[in-house]
Amino acid sequence: MPDKNKQTVQGKLADLSELVAWFQGPDFSLEEALEKFTQAEALAETIEDDLTKLKNDIQVVKQRFDTKE
Amino acid sequence: MDGANLPVQLSVSDFVALTNQTLEFAYPTISVVGEVAEFRVSQGKWVSFKLKDDGAVVNCFMTTFALRQPIENGMKLLVVAAPRLNPKGYFNLNVRTLRPVGEGSIKKGFELVKAKLEAEGLFSDERKRPLPRVPASVAVITSTESAAYADFCKIINERWGGLQVKVAHTQVQGDPAADQIIRAVEYFNSLEELPEVLIVIRGGGSAEDLMTFNDERLARTLSRSRIPTLVGVGHEIDHTLADMVADKRAATPTNAAEILVPDKQEIIRTVRAHIQGVGYHMTQAIDAQRVRIRENLLAAVRRMDEQVAVTRERLTMLRQAVIRLHPDRVLEMGYAIVRGDVKPGGMIEVETITQVINAEVRDARQK
Repeated sequence: MPDKNKQTVQGKLADLSELVAWFQGPDFSLEEALEKFTQAEALAETIEDDLTKLKNDIQVVKQRFDTKE
Repeated sequence: MDGANLPVQLSVSDFVALTNQTLEFAYPTISVVGEVAEFRVSQGKWVSFKLKDDGAVVNCFMTTFALRQPIENGMKLLVVAAPRLNPKGYFNLNVRTLRPVGEGSIKKGFELVKAKLEAEGLFSDERKRPLPRVPASVAVITSTESAAYADFCKIINERWGGLQVKVAHTQVQGDPAADQIIRAVEYFNSLEELPEVLIVIRGGGSAEDLMTFNDERLARTLSRSRIPTLVGVGHEIDHTLADMVADKRAATPTNAAEILVPDKQEIIRTVRAHIQGVGYHMTQAIDAQRVRIRENLLAAVRRMDEQVAVTRERLTMLRQAVIRLHPDRVLEMGYAIVRGDVKPGGMIEVETITQVINAEVRDARQK
């Protein structure tokens, strides 16, 4: 799994979906479940943190459109 | 007549040139409103028609390139034109731009372009591309001075974070608006790294205010956009050609923001529900495993009990056999045990259940 700190929220959401799917899929095993659950919990926390803290970057482009170039 | 008092004598060509100079000085451009008659297109390049009202009529001339939308006889138009006397003696309005005026003509103009674009399949569902569920970078075309833009920014900031938004400021009404928006669409489509969604927004207004978004060239430019488009113009009830060619129509600019990004509170709730679901799934799996282990243990204990019972039964049988073979049991049946020297003259001991008898052997022989 890629470095969580560098991933976008979308990437983290995709990873979380993958982990959740593992729990419902045929590969599920109790032996691995605790580790996966810990991962999912940490990922959920990061996502919530990102969503709460991240701000949109809105920039008006310098290009003018009132005249032909 | 005195030659000095004669009016200036001009050649016809000079007269026409002088008239045009005077017209150009006095009326570089004029706006004239009238009803279209005798509309005609020649050689696919030249457009001519008459503009009339109850008292007068004037010839109008323009190129097909300058004609931004289909027109028909009977439509009421506002033309922006330069008045000219042409060398053949006809007075013309050389039309630069025109637009329908009045509710009926605006509607008629809209229906004509709509029918044309519809026939070309520009509104068909097959052309519509899905928007990314959570885009990382988007482009917005609007007037940054408008309330619609402020609303749009407010909603996306409330709903989502981490979004890169590039905004092109253009007019959103009036004659230059369509061309400005076209340039902005082309600008974003020419970027090396394309935004994931191209959004065009404008708040509500009158039918004339929204006419920009019924411009045929703008509609075609939007339909060619390499970036999926989301258009939110006017109110819920307003339908423009820009809406119709867009990959996704938003009822209002606010609705465009809602379509563009998910609500982070909703995502947080979903993420929490996922974790709860996974936890529940794990608990269920642990419970199921516990039941399986318990069942296995019980089965093992049952098997052991069965084994013990079988062994115990065999032991009982063996014990009974041993008991049956005990010498006392044989003596009880009337048999006797003989010990000693079994040959003639030898002494023997005979044990019965009740007695021990010592005796001498008189005879012993093989059977």
